[in-house]
Amino acid sequence: MDVLKKSILLLLLSGYTLFAAGPFVWAAMMSLRTTTEIHYDHFGFPDPIHWEKYPEAWFNSNYAIYFTNSTQVVLAAVIIVTLIGAMAAHCLARYRFKLNRLVYFVLFSTIIFPPQITIISLFQILVQYGLYNSKLGLTLVYVAIQLPLTVYILESFFARIPSDLFDAARMDGYSDWQIFWKVSLPIAVPAVATTVILNFILLWNEFLFAVVLITDEVNRTLPLGIQRFIGDTQEDIGMIATGLMIAIIPVIVVYAFFSEKLIQGMTAGAVK
Amino acid sequence: MAAGGAARPHDEGLRRPWGAITAFLLPALLVYAALTAYPAFRTLWNSFHEVLPRRETFIGLANYAELIQDEIFWKAVRNTFIWACASPLIEVAVATLLALALYAKVPGARFFRIAWFTPVLMSYIVVGILWAWIYNYDWGPINVALRAVGLGDWAQPWLGQPDTALPALIFVTSWMWVGFNMVVMLAALHSLPREVIEAAELDNCGWGQKLVFIILPMVRATLLNLVVLSFIGKMKIFDLVWITTKGNPLWSTETVSTYVYKRAFEWTTFDLGYPSTIAAVWFVIVLAAVLGLTHLFRLRDKLEY
Repeated sequence: MDVLKKSILLLLLSGYTLFAAGPFVWAAMMSLRTTTEIHYDHFGFPDPIHWEKYPEAWFNSNYAIYFTNSTQVVLAAVIIVTLIGAMAAHCLARYRFKLNRLVYFVLFSTIIFPPQITIISLFQILVQYGLYNSKLGLTLVYVAIQLPLTVYILESFFARIPSDLFDAARMDGYSDWQIFWKVSLPIAVPAVATTVILNFILLWNEFLFAVVLITDEVNRTLPLGIQRFIGDTQEDIGMIATGLMIAIIPVIVVYAFFSEKLIQGMTAGAVK
Repeated sequence: MAAGGAARPHDEGLRRPWGAITAFLLPALLVYAALTAYPAFRTLWNSFHEVLPRRETFIGLANYAELIQDEIFWKAVRNTFIWACASPLIEVAVATLLALALYAKVPGARFFRIAWFTPVLMSYIVVGILWAWIYNYDWGPINVALRAVGLGDWAQPWLGQPDTALPALIFVTSWMWVGFNMVVMLAALHSLPREVIEAAELDNCGWGQKLVFIILPMVRATLLNLVVLSFIGKMKIFDLVWITTKGNPLWSTETVSTYVYKRAFEWTTFDLGYPSTIAAVWFVIVLAAVLGLTHLFRLRDKLEY
């Protein structure tokens, strides 16, 4: 009886797995078939396998540019937001001063802001300062939108480091900056890794701010590039599938190696 | 200076090194002031003006008066609220069931967990394109499957008609987020004390009773947290709509985010004042809704214990 129950359960779970992962498998199969083949049968296996579609998508439609732009903007934003977020979090967790909780609350409450409240003015401001339609402008905005979550996650981690450690470091003559750089940060590596992963995924997929603040082809990030790509290729489903896979692959590769860390990072904000 | 202060986490502050505090906080606060606080206030300022590319005119509450009469705006608010209320229920319920299934020590639990989580790692852009194909009238797998089992009459252009488009998109976000919620629920379940559940088993508690009276109350905080998170996420939704329907057909999938975008950057009015008004009003609505929701949950917490 128990075996029967388990088998039914397992069958249901496998069904859900098919539902959750099926669309990607389907897209992966289409990415290796030509559109003519796909129109003949939408659900067939790639036979023969058209690997050449990948270099074709990469070279013929600026995917190389989109990919490079995304990498540059996201890496720069993640590095900056991690650094200044960690500094602020360390300060809020370590020093007791008037306004401490106020600063924390002000930063943190931004998490629930709908993006519309800043996006129109950010457009105006970036135009004003010549940062509209530039990767630098987008990077700065990305730093700003990920700052609250970064501070929130890191602050709660820093606050749990026993203060004896800091007293000892102070006795040894460490300056405030050295304490942050040589004591706090090294201990917080797991939490920092979590925020890095979380910010990386969220920004790699970011679309709204990019679509408002970037217009030139040479500055497009991947999500914008994909949108442009469907506009250009319309009915060429096979090619679009290849394009989608190119955008997905980095995430899948990272996931294959660091699935646990990635899951931890993504859910960090949800678990108190 | 309180005795025992040394045990507290913030005891460095006894010296209050303002120089260091300022240095640590300054970069973050600068970014915050320039790219979050200032733009937010400027949006509020805009909302009382007509903001054309080279000219700003003060028009008082005219934008607000227009907004009250703007049927598309209220339609968008309605759609967004339907989305933000339906999603948390679907996502958290399905996620809880799946988490319980994995909690029951099924073989391959680790694999399931990793596979189900995948959708949430993808951008809404990728997900939107994939699902537009899945919903395709002629060759999308849903309609193909319906025709294959003789239910061809049920096949329809899911994203193309007003009464199915919004539910179809809500379904997509659920597909995407269930895995995320499941992982969080599973972590919460695993952190429960084993003894309590075993004691319930000894007391001959049925599976359903165990779930309703013991397990769910203990993971309540996580459940409510997930509901609020999902709610906030859906109040912001833009990308998925933009890549699939752009709010069509007949504004049936218009959300506040897409409407603000259209009014600010697509309509040829070139006025940034009116969309700023929408943003300001929406900001207040979201804030009130989230505060109300958390307050409600806290209140019920107090009543129950």
